[in-house]
Amino acid sequence: MRPELKEYKFDSMLLSTFTAAAKLRNGSEKEYRTMLKYIPYFNGTVTAVLDTGEPGQLFIECISKYLENYITAREKGFHNAITTFCFSPGILYAMDVYPICLEVLSVAQTFAYRRGTAEFLDFCNEVGYTETSCSSQRGTLGAFLAGVGADVDMVLTDTPGVCDTNANAFAFAAAYLKVPFFSLDMPPVLSEARSDEYHNSDFRALIAFIEKHTGRKLDIDRLRTVLREIERQEELVAELEDLARMVPNPLPVSFNLMVYATRFLFSGMKECTAVLESMLRVASDNASRGASGLSGGVEKMRAFFCYIDHYTNSLRLWDFLDRNGICYQGNILSRSWSNMAPHVKEYRTEAAAYSFDYGDLDAMIRTMALHNSRMPMIKSIRGPYDAPDMWLQDTLSLAKMYSADCIIYNGTPGCRNTWGMVKLFARDTEKAGFPTFIMYGDAFDDRVESWEASQDRLEEFLRVRRLLV
Amino acid sequence: MNSAFMEAAISLNNDYVREWKEAGKKVVGYTCSYVPDELLYAAGILPYRVRGFGATEATIGDTYFGPFICSLPKAMLQLAGEGRFDFLDGAIITPGCDSMRRLDECWRKAGEDISGILPKFFFHFGVPHKYADYTVKWFIEEILRLKADVERHFGVSVSDDRLREAIRLFNKSRDLLERFDGFRTAGNPAIAGTEALAVILAGTTMSRDIYVKLLEELLETLEQSRGTLKDRTRLMLVGSASDDVNLVRLIEGERAVVVADNLCFGSRFHADRVDETGDPIEALAKRYLAKNECPRMYGEYDGRLKMLIDKADRANVDGVILQNIRFCDLHGSENGLFERDLEKAGIPCLKIEREYGPLVETGRLKMRVEAFLERIGQRRQSA
Repeated sequence: MRPELKEYKFDSMLLSTFTAAAKLRNGSEKEYRTMLKYIPYFNGTVTAVLDTGEPGQLFIECISKYLENYITAREKGFHNAITTFCFSPGILYAMDVYPICLEVLSVAQTFAYRRGTAEFLDFCNEVGYTETSCSSQRGTLGAFLAGVGADVDMVLTDTPGVCDTNANAFAFAAAYLKVPFFSLDMPPVLSEARSDEYHNSDFRALIAFIEKHTGRKLDIDRLRTVLREIERQEELVAELEDLARMVPNPLPVSFNLMVYATRFLFSGMKECTAVLESMLRVASDNASRGASGLSGGVEKMRAFFCYIDHYTNSLRLWDFLDRNGICYQGNILSRSWSNMAPHVKEYRTEAAAYSFDYGDLDAMIRTMALHNSRMPMIKSIRGPYDAPDMWLQDTLSLAKMYSADCIIYNGTPGCRNTWGMVKLFARDTEKAGFPTFIMYGDAFDDRVESWEASQDRLEEFLRVRRLLV
Repeated sequence: MNSAFMEAAISLNNDYVREWKEAGKKVVGYTCSYVPDELLYAAGILPYRVRGFGATEATIGDTYFGPFICSLPKAMLQLAGEGRFDFLDGAIITPGCDSMRRLDECWRKAGEDISGILPKFFFHFGVPHKYADYTVKWFIEEILRLKADVERHFGVSVSDDRLREAIRLFNKSRDLLERFDGFRTAGNPAIAGTEALAVILAGTTMSRDIYVKLLEELLETLEQSRGTLKDRTRLMLVGSASDDVNLVRLIEGERAVVVADNLCFGSRFHADRVDETGDPIEALAKRYLAKNECPRMYGEYDGRLKMLIDKADRANVDGVILQNIRFCDLHGSENGLFERDLEKAGIPCLKIEREYGPLVETGRLKMRVEAFLERIGQRRQSA
């Protein structure tokens, strides 16, 4: 690791970066355009996000606020916890614990910096963490292991049973940093009464763990407030998803990213609701005019990403899609599984979904446990991919519902849980009539395969399958 | 040492399996040490630990698994695809790790393409990743689900009495193996690590009552023998699954002896006992789920470190070899922590990443082990 990287806290640097980005539009257009020249590796991201107008502005402010929250949590008498993208932060906010989501921070760094998280990725290996593990956690984990992140109170994850490399990253972090660790465990079946019971008991153990390590009792009113906000957010997302079914799709390509990122940051908090409401206003306006969300205004095809995106700096994946008139029809990260989600209704998968119950504390904890157990990835990649309510069924349903012309898999080489069967999965989606492309790059580390190489292969796929003519 | 152990350890369909099958009885394979094999035995079925030993290529494994996957389940699938597990009447897959749990799909789908390679009884067995009252409850239900499916599919009945009998027999084998460990860890070991692994491995491939008799005979022989392995560097082998005695042979060479291990095909096999009183299913659930020797049980690092230090002390080891199969992040990264903490505790470590298979990396591994032995030797001289 370069010595200068050790001179500053990485998250404070990131906070400065996003705080500055949030002010970029304060000046004149000329000043804004001039500033972009000074951030050559970040300007694509800034442009793609801020050009969406108010939603983009709020989104950047959200990231800035999020960073400030956890960096300053301890001095304000609160706590923080290293956690993962598929762990709903709602319960943490209800208990004054500020989440430090490793994957979101990795994406923020790859978006903003030329080298992305490369040196932190490598630092992990220096201290014994495997190079074959998932880069999504590893990039930011390296910064914390190197002592260049905020001090951490605890480590929480919910991926045992779903993703070893994810769960292992958090277990490693806790052992290395010597901080308390708790994991929610996911049984291999989703929609059975005994699984619900398991999730509920496990979630109660989580609450007891947080109470023990923060010295704060869970407040029923705080929990109700957070849950109501989550419910409101689910309604907004359901409306956005309904709009995405239109032809042309009125949502700009970057909206999907903003939907899931905002939820990972601030699920259950007003900041997230504000971004979603703003996105809905823009999308509804486009829809009322019959306008496409694509900047070129012409929708040539629709792509469904069955897993995650490619987070090279300057949002080059999104830029590629937008430039080529490819409408982004969502991925695994943006879906929710409350009973109001359009796909739940369309495919009658209510048994796999959850509803909101505010009856009493028990009911709310149960709701929270089920909400959490239906977060991206842990909902649909826990059991065999071809089991009911698992990855194949979800993907085919969503791809069909959103009229996708193709399915694209992108992940990281560290993703054992999908690479273990993605060839079989792709064979099945092809059989179902969806041209399917497996990207071999690394979503968080383009040293594995450069974005240019990934883009060449993607273009070849689209050309050979005559999807984009 | 009775050659029966070694023969059972280096052949898949060994004489004991063949005799069992010739008697018209069933064999069910399982992939992980978290499967309570007493249950199968009580059903009159031979529990057989599925292995990857003997695979010489990965054409079938690579067809179904993706590229970034541990070579052990690929080797297992390869063997299955080649028909070398055709003697299995059933298979139980667990989420021991992500690569291993995907053997479920890969084997099933390969079975659609290659006729006859998928056992008719194929069961996905959900094992929790932590020990708590509610996880034990789940695990009890899961064992009951397995029991019901075994009974239905094979037309057998597993009574509590039969289960208790099996538990007693398996506990007895664990007691014997613990005594056997004493001969490994003695000042002058009476048995090399290569043979010791063969002895333990054999237990996963033969009827337990025969195994117990063989163990008793072995212990009698060992009691009358003198330790012959003097002046060798004493090592402990830790990490990813290893069912290949040749790996241990390579490590030991002429200068070292593996006196202890923490391998799931090794001494983890006989750690702990099942409570012989009370409800047998609950007793099985508690024994198997309480096993935290494997990094699949997240958040238990401190316990595992203490266990390794205790083992190292008891066996008076000179060094520890921490090995992991490539893409095994669980063992690989925990080995990184072990290396840090064991070295801090004054125990020299060698951390190795390797491929599973027919020792394609013999030269590299041998060179690294020899360098490690040199390091230990120099340390001794300067002490």
